[in-house]
Amino acid sequence: MRSLILFLWKHRYFLLFLILQLVAIGLIVSNNSFQRSKFISASNGVTGNILSLYDNAVSYFALKSANERLAQENARLRNKLKTSQILLDTNSFEFQDSLWQQHYYYQHSKVLNNSFQKRNNYLIISKGSKQGISTQMAVLGQNGIVGIVNSVSENFSSVISVLHSRSAIDAKLKNSGYTGTIGWDGKDYRIGQLKNIPSHVNVKIGDTVVTSGFSFIFPEGLMVGIVESATEIKGKGYYDIQVRFSQEFNKLEYVYVVTDLLREEEELIENQTNE
Amino acid sequence: MNRLVLLNIARFLLLLLLQVFVFNHINYVGYVNPFIFLMFVVLLPFETPGWLLLLSSFSIGLGVDLFTGSLGVHASATTLTAFLRPTILHQLMPKLEKNSTVQPGLNFMGLPTFTLYTAILVFIHHFAFFTIESWSFSEIGYTLLRTLFSGFFTVLFIVMLDFIFRKK
Repeated sequence: MRSLILFLWKHRYFLLFLILQLVAIGLIVSNNSFQRSKFISASNGVTGNILSLYDNAVSYFALKSANERLAQENARLRNKLKTSQILLDTNSFEFQDSLWQQHYYYQHSKVLNNSFQKRNNYLIISKGSKQGISTQMAVLGQNGIVGIVNSVSENFSSVISVLHSRSAIDAKLKNSGYTGTIGWDGKDYRIGQLKNIPSHVNVKIGDTVVTSGFSFIFPEGLMVGIVESATEIKGKGYYDIQVRFSQEFNKLEYVYVVTDLLREEEELIENQTNE
Repeated sequence: MNRLVLLNIARFLLLLLLQVFVFNHINYVGYVNPFIFLMFVVLLPFETPGWLLLLSSFSIGLGVDLFTGSLGVHASATTLTAFLRPTILHQLMPKLEKNSTVQPGLNFMGLPTFTLYTAILVFIHHFAFFTIESWSFSEIGYTLLRTLFSGFFTVLFIVMLDFIFRKK
């Protein structure tokens, strides 16, 4: 016993090092699992508050470009309003019906912290469980998809960016309809990879890639990006497709969080199929 | 002695804030993100006891982690750096006497030794950090590229900051 204590004491420096490394690795692993632990959620609130203080101070510098982008988006959305369209066919008429029901609900949120130059990138946004945000919700920018909500505290949420080693979002080629998944190889924050598109499909440079809506997270048909290059992987029967993201990840000021109002129903049917 | 502890606590907080609010926002060509907070580990006094060296390095790494969402990655890499620091110091300066009259820095170590010492610590940290972050050895080329790019600027900033704040 005495010699054991002596041995431990002799190597106390190395032992402390090991313990600290184990703690760090524990944190990395728990952070990598999809749900973060309670502890992190709480500290998310603390750092979130500090980050929002900082954001208050620096957001003024980006006001001009942010306004410009928001104005552009307003214009685009105005174009879609009924009032900006003219009725061409006078034989048909409109009536109120119960065929349509709201499926997705969008709310905007400020981006407090955003990274895009790391291998695994996260965003912190200024809305949380109090505002109805929960995990697994889709996050969009003005021009395309941004990520998926990873954890929420009361007033803040952290979002796994598309620029993440584990990001795999169901997407499809808009004109041919073939589906694959969008991932990121960590090299260029402007370019993602569309996988699992079979090589008999005709893919052209400039083709539009949109979300397929298969995973019940992203609504269907949201802009992802544009095909930059497509080369066949020899002997695999698949394409290696590089996609230029339509969303500029280095210019995120505001994002939209999408609440799927039919989520429970979709999960129910999904669970039933899996059983 | 007391003054030295206060100085290091102040340095800890200042470098943490500088890292989180200034240097984390430098995204030069997508690869360069200097981790200036390592200066804290570099400049800890020679006679710092082992447990304090490890614990304080772990803390500053964890602090940076909390703000960047890379939880545990900086803490692990910085602890490794701190663990190897005594060995590196012993190799670089075998005749060093540990007392509070001399501190790590340009003044005492001179430009070549201090730069080499900083560079070794920085590259250990950066290589560990980027490897853990990518969580695989298959992207080793990009890991090395990032290590070199960011590492160069981290060393540059640390040596420059030490030059500016050294006592004449």
